[in-house]
Order: sequence, then structure tokens, then C-alpha cells
Amino acid sequence: MSVADLVKTFTFYEILVGMKATITVFIQRIILRNRKAITLQYPHEKRDLPGSYRGMIALLKYDDGVEKCVGCDLCEAACPSRVITVISAEVEGEPAKRYAKEYYMDMTRCLFCGLCVDACPVDALAMTKEYEWARYNKRDLRLDKPQLLALGDRNFPVREKKLEFQHPNVAYFNIGHKNLPHKAS
Amino acid sequence: MDMLVFAGASVAKIAVVMVTVLITVAILTLAERKVLSWMQDRMGPMEVGPYGILQPIADGIKLFFKEDIIPAGANWVLFSLAPIISLIPAFIGFAVVPYGPNIEYELYGVTIKPFIISDINIGILYVLAFASIGAYGVILGGWASNNKYSLLGGLRAAAQVISYELNVGLAIIGVLILAGSLSLVTIAEKQAGGFWHWNLIGGLQIIGFVVYVISSVAETNRLPFDLPEADSELVAGWMTEYSGMRFAFFFMAEYANMILVSCIASVLFLGGYHAPYPGTLLPGILGYFEGVAWFTVKVYFFLFLFFWIRATLPRLRYDQLMRFGWKVMLPLALANIVITAIVVYVLR
Repeated sequence: MSVADLVKTFTFYEILVGMKATITVFIQRIILRNRKAITLQYPHEKRDLPGSYRGMIALLKYDDGVEKCVGCDLCEAACPSRVITVISAEVEGEPAKRYAKEYYMDMTRCLFCGLCVDACPVDALAMTKEYEWARYNKRDLRLDKPQLLALGDRNFPVREKKLEFQHPNVAYFNIGHKNLPHKAS
Repeated sequence: MDMLVFAGASVAKIAVVMVTVLITVAILTLAERKVLSWMQDRMGPMEVGPYGILQPIADGIKLFFKEDIIPAGANWVLFSLAPIISLIPAFIGFAVVPYGPNIEYELYGVTIKPFIISDINIGILYVLAFASIGAYGVILGGWASNNKYSLLGGLRAAAQVISYELNVGLAIIGVLILAGSLSLVTIAEKQAGGFWHWNLIGGLQIIGFVVYVISSVAETNRLPFDLPEADSELVAGWMTEYSGMRFAFFFMAEYANMILVSCIASVLFLGGYHAPYPGTLLPGILGYFEGVAWFTVKVYFFLFLFFWIRATLPRLRYDQLMRFGWKVMLPLALANIVITAIVVYVLR
């Protein structure tokens, strides 16, 4: 230990430097009033979320109210946490067309990676900015198709148009890829 | 009759001091959170009342109605006794602190000192003795909880209190040499007449002052010396198993101890109720209350210092705590005693 170190130890030099830093912030905050808290009063104030925010997952519809989902099961295959269960079926009277008869998402397991949204060939899935989904019963977090569609209706008021050259009886892939609507902020 | 008047006056003074201390504890719980958050770019409690000023009431109600849990396997006698052992010594020390000038009034033929509950000639010794008993509450509470974290916290408290009580005792000896008395009232009276007569400046007790303040922070188990409580290592140390009112007792004891050491520090080093200028500005009875106001200001300065240190410094490691206590604080306190003794001997 050198002499300078000893002097610093016995005069509490480093401690005084630190205490100067804290009192500076205190004075700026209380007396000069040129400094503000960086925190927000959460339930009353909320952060602006980035557009790429990955919140609850929603199922989308076309502007004519038809579900986009064609029941291809690719989201189920892409999901690393086995959140998604799709039971697909033929559309009545249209053998070439399929749809998701039942669609379940167990959000207790979801890690919001967004792989299902990337995997979807018809952009039927989208991530919303909803995050306040604390529930008293964990079974309330197993969402079924009406709940997921409601999420989509709630967060994406402007629906995508069905492309005109699409034959009404043919499922098509990759046409609207990455053509998701803007999220409601 | 004389005894009755004296007892009545004493009880009234004790009641006023107790209520003041309890209110101050309530204010401190809020003030600590607010000051810490202001220093750390946060807001602190904002929900209960405007700017959260009713938070202490909400906290009090919550603690009062919480379930009272005694863990299985705990020694319930000591477990219940520990918060009381902790709380009573914290409050009992206020009996000898001079809150205002040492004036006397005749009431029904009995002499009454309105600003001093009792002036015993070993005042400071009495305070230190009860502060040591308060540590038993921590140690017994830690042992009686039947929990490894509580036990570790209690053991740490034992080691820490021994190391730092020694320094507190040695740091004030310089003041005692200057005053020639152990009575807090006499010590305060000898510092009359402006800030250049205070022990800190006139008595050149700067080293003693610094050692006393740091050691009293350690003695009250406050950050950066809160090893008995060490949230990040020991959950809550000796308070881990406590809940409800028992926890509130420990909490109140901690804050009351803070107020007590602040009172002692302002009496010993900053002239107690004396203003930094000679005499008083206000005449007559108002002048006495000016003294009380100055005492309050000094006490609150020390309480702010507690928060300030807490906002600045991280917790010490255990070996750092011991090294700091025995290798830095103790030599400083001893040097202070030697220098003060020599200077006083030469000058008188």
C-alpha cells in the first residue's frame, strides 16, 4: 500500500467522491428541478412499444371476414414450445380448400419467439402489442380460435384485402408473405 | 403530592417524546424511500395520497393486519421476546437526551425541567449499555427462528456489534475528555455560544465525529453495514421468519435506533440544542423552542446522512467490514483519544 493509498483510505476519498455523485443527482432533482425520473408510473403511464414488439399472438381475417388460416399446421411444426395445436378440416363442399376447425394456443408455454408468425404461409398469424395478460387461472391462458380471432380483430382494425387473382377454391401460399398489417399502437 | 406532580410531569414528557419518536419513525420510512428514489432517478411511493405521503399509514395497517406466523421448530418464547428486546432499548435511550435548554420551572413547589426527561450523570454510558442490549434482540431473534439464514444473520450481528460498539465507545471519549462529564446535559451545556464552541469545530473532534458516525451506521445495521440483514445473501437475515407486528417491532427498533444515534451525535458533536450563533434570536420562551428547532434540524441532518450513505455505498463484504472496523476505525479512534488527551493536558 503506497502512501497515497493510505491517505485515501483514512480520508475516505473514494466514499466522498461517490457521495458527491448522489447528492448532485438529489440537488438536480429537488432543488434545481432540471432532472426527471426515468421510471414511469406503470399502470397510469405506459411505455411506447416498438413496432416490432412481440406480444400476444392473434389470428387474422381478410377484409371480407373470412379467416386467413388454411389449416396447414406449419405453425404447429415451427413452434419450439409446442404451444399450438391445429385441427384442420376441409371446407364444406369445397374439397380443395382447408381451414383450421380448431386452433388452440397454450400461452402459458409461449416464449413469444415469433417463429409461428414467420412460418405462416398466408400471414394468418400476427403478434400484437398486448402484454397485460396476468390471469388468476392458468386455464384461462389456453386460448381457442374465437379468442385468437378476437385478439386479431381488436388489434388490427384494418384488415388485409384478399388478392384478386386468387381463385376462390384454391389455397395459395407465399403470396402475401411479410405483408402484415400495422399494429395498433 | 410532590412525587405525584413529578411523576405526572415525567409521564407527560415521556408521552410527548414517545409520540414524537413514533411519528418520526413513520416519517422516516417514507422519507427514506423518497430520498433514495430521488437520488436514484426514481419516484418512490406515489400511489397512496398525493405524492405517496400517506404510505406510512398504509404500511402500518398492512403490518398490523398481517398473519402472525411462528415457524415450526422455532423457540416461540425467544421468538416472541426478541422483537421486544430489540424495541425497548431503542426507545429507552431517549430518556437522557436533552431536547432543549436546561431550564427549570416551579410547578406546585416541584422543580421540573421541561426539555429533559432525566439528567443522570452517566447518561452516555446508559445509552451505550442499552444499545448493546438491543443487539441481543437481533441475535436471539436469529437463533430462535430455526432458520439457517436467520442464524447467520444473528451471528453476523453479534460480531459486527462487538466490533463497532467498541469504536463508538472510543470515538466519544475525546468529547468526554473535553466536557469532563458523562452527562449528555452537561456535554450540551458546555458547547454554548456559537458553532466555534461545538465539539466538532471548537474541540477539533473531527476524527471522533467521523468514527462515531460511521460506527453508528454499523451499529444500527444500516447500509453499507447491513450484513445481518443482507437481502441478497440471507433473504432478510435475522428477520427472515418474522412477519406482521413482530417484523414491525424490528423495523421500528431500527428506525428508533437511527434517531437515537442521530440525537447522540448532535448532542456530542454539534452542540445539541445550541444554535450556530451565540444566544438565541427569539426572546424568552420562544428562544427555548428555537433551541429545540435547532436540535431537530441537526437530528434530521444526521438522518439524511444515513439515507445519503445508503444511496451511495454498496454493502461491504464480511472481511472488509472486519478489516475496516479493526484496522481503520479503531486506530483512528485511539489516535483521537491520545491527541485530545495530550492537547487538553497541555492547554489546561
